[in-house]
Amino acid sequence: MAQVHVPEQQLHIDPYERRWLIMIVVMLGVFFASLIAGALIYGVVPAGEGGFINPQRLDETMFASPGLRDMGNNHYDLVLLAQMWNWNGNPNYEVRLPVGAEVEFYVTSRDVTHGMLIEGHNINFEVIPGHIARAHLTFTKAGEYRLLCHEYCGRLHQAMHATIIVEAAPSAEGTS
Amino acid sequence: MATLQPAILPQAEPTKPILTHPLTSLMRYERFQVGAHLLIAFVALSVGILMGPFQTFRRSPFMNAWALENLGTAMPMPIFSYYYQALTAHGVLNALVFTTFFIMGMSYFVVQRSLQRPMKSGLAVWASFWIMVVGMALAGGAIIGNQSNVLYTFYAPMLAHWAFYLGLALVIVGSWVGAFNVFWTYADWKRDNPGQKAPLATYAIVCNFVMWFSASLGVAIEVLTMLLPLSLGWVDTTDPQVARIFFWFFGHPLVYFWLIPAYVSWYTMLPKQLGVKLFSDSFARIAFLMIAILSIPIGVHHLFTDPGVSELAKLYHSALTFVVAVPSLLTAFNIAATIERAGRKRGATNILDWMWKQPYGDPVVAAQYMGMFLFIFGGISGLMNASYNMNVALHNTTWVTGHFHTTLGGAVFLTYISVTFWILPKITGRKLFMPRVALAHVYLWFFGMIIFAGSMGRAGIAGATRRTDLGGVGAYISEAVGYWMNWSAVAGVILLISSICLYVVLVGTALFSKREENDSIIPVDGVPSQTEYAPPVLENWRLWVTVVVISNLIMWGPVMLNAISLTQGFWVSGQPGAAR
Repeated sequence: MAQVHVPEQQLHIDPYERRWLIMIVVMLGVFFASLIAGALIYGVVPAGEGGFINPQRLDETMFASPGLRDMGNNHYDLVLLAQMWNWNGNPNYEVRLPVGAEVEFYVTSRDVTHGMLIEGHNINFEVIPGHIARAHLTFTKAGEYRLLCHEYCGRLHQAMHATIIVEAAPSAEGTS
Repeated sequence: MATLQPAILPQAEPTKPILTHPLTSLMRYERFQVGAHLLIAFVALSVGILMGPFQTFRRSPFMNAWALENLGTAMPMPIFSYYYQALTAHGVLNALVFTTFFIMGMSYFVVQRSLQRPMKSGLAVWASFWIMVVGMALAGGAIIGNQSNVLYTFYAPMLAHWAFYLGLALVIVGSWVGAFNVFWTYADWKRDNPGQKAPLATYAIVCNFVMWFSASLGVAIEVLTMLLPLSLGWVDTTDPQVARIFFWFFGHPLVYFWLIPAYVSWYTMLPKQLGVKLFSDSFARIAFLMIAILSIPIGVHHLFTDPGVSELAKLYHSALTFVVAVPSLLTAFNIAATIERAGRKRGATNILDWMWKQPYGDPVVAAQYMGMFLFIFGGISGLMNASYNMNVALHNTTWVTGHFHTTLGGAVFLTYISVTFWILPKITGRKLFMPRVALAHVYLWFFGMIIFAGSMGRAGIAGATRRTDLGGVGAYISEAVGYWMNWSAVAGVILLISSICLYVVLVGTALFSKREENDSIIPVDGVPSQTEYAPPVLENWRLWVTVVVISNLIMWGPVMLNAISLTQGFWVSGQPGAAR
């Protein structure tokens, strides 16, 4: 019988391509596993929901008098109100903390969308009016760190920063 | 493999398609269509691209000190009066206007060429074009008038002039007219050629518009129901978190909308330019389809730090984001294997020498290769951005800026330039002006962008926030950030020179170069031979559109419902933007 050429009716996969496919799956699996591990072992997770807050009635909430609160036992609550273009109404806002301070952040915005990060620390969120951004952070190293607004919020966005001073000696004062 | 399948009769030879378009020159209507889109694209780009280097100068402590001493002010922006206005123009003109016009022009061209038939409606091509031009003029006017300094992501409740939103809405509506024209043309071709698979290039463009139409519904809803009424004063409140969710429903597919035309060039034009066959046609189709389906339901990775999105949604979007890396990794293999073939054809024999036995002196090919190199960094940094918890260290830092200047500003931009380098001479009937300058543009851009992306990335890890006027009043720059910002200004100088080279070539090719009908073959895929099998299910659009709808309901539905319920129906007062 004469050989007739019949077009192949199935997906052609080159052997090398097959190996590459396996590598892709393994590689992405390892990546995903490592970020799960990062979340479970080191507790690094993105900020979760902090709940709703009425941005027109901030005066009736904890944001009426924002600032640092000593909760005892080296635990602190840091309540931050972002607005154009400062933190807690003070263009040179400063927070002093002892080394090892465990700080719970409560952040919201009075006007437009802002953002917040602290140099050299795993804390980063959008500060959206109507929402409280919450995160927990331990300051383990003494030093001076800037707390910056990272979401463009208008003409003086670049000037919107505060300072966190982590002191080696255990004394704490939320001042401006 | 022995072919012992006697029951199957040999298939009839597909009838040779009649070539309605000449192989080496453009039809008149092609010249006008592509030419008009390219003209607007490159006029917009000329302003947008100029802003970039001056931003790097302004952010650099060294350059700023120099400006203060010699000009008596911080480094000024050209054309625009202040940094954020220039930044808005840079984003809108480069990332929205340049790309959209280029993509529409290229899509019409590719579809008509590869299907060997004109668009279903020539009138709709021009209707789409003029709607987009009017839109661009409105948005551009609002930016020039200093009324819309909201950057190209225009997050609520900061507000721009209504003309800005209306303009953007018109650009999107214009692109929809184009998208449906493409669908209709493709459907007609399928009807006339039953059982045939579409050419790869057309298949990719159809994938792109399916994705684009679905995704841009998000931003259209945001603009038309939230931002436009707010800016017109019809309503006084809005929900910024919901607006961000609508935006990022659109925002991630947007980057693939830019990328797919670049992939079209790599998959279908590059092999012709190298004189080889694409390694695998079917895997190219699978890659395009995967992008079309998977690029929308992963957008929460842009919202990892948002307080109104649940951690669970962040986690499952992160997982699916890794899956959308698959088509790009498939592309890396497929294109590398194709390039290897080209190297072997040029005499490469051992395991690595095919890499340098390549036409690096040809600006059209070199631009694509340099784009691919940059895309390696873009892809890796992209996976890092999308990693659930690594994002905490990177979100909204200049790292992100570094990342998308290797993707959009690298792979996509250089590939569009590659296409321009061969198509512009065909449009104007002139030689490519100063090919050496064209080549200089490509390599300067590559090295400039490597330095830029690297230094922006390092600055970001050191805590530099993106979109921040580091040369402005009250800005804070740490020593580490200052160091890397100075490096980024070095890159700015290189990229400025590179941009000047580009416009010398473009203007020269359009107006001054020697008239000559060149006889190089236009590298657009024709109707394919039906020898390589591709599963017909790949073109079952009823199925894939259903998949798109259902996957997005699953992935975005809970996110949206959650955000709406979190604010308990309360809508925040719209605050005027800073410049109003």
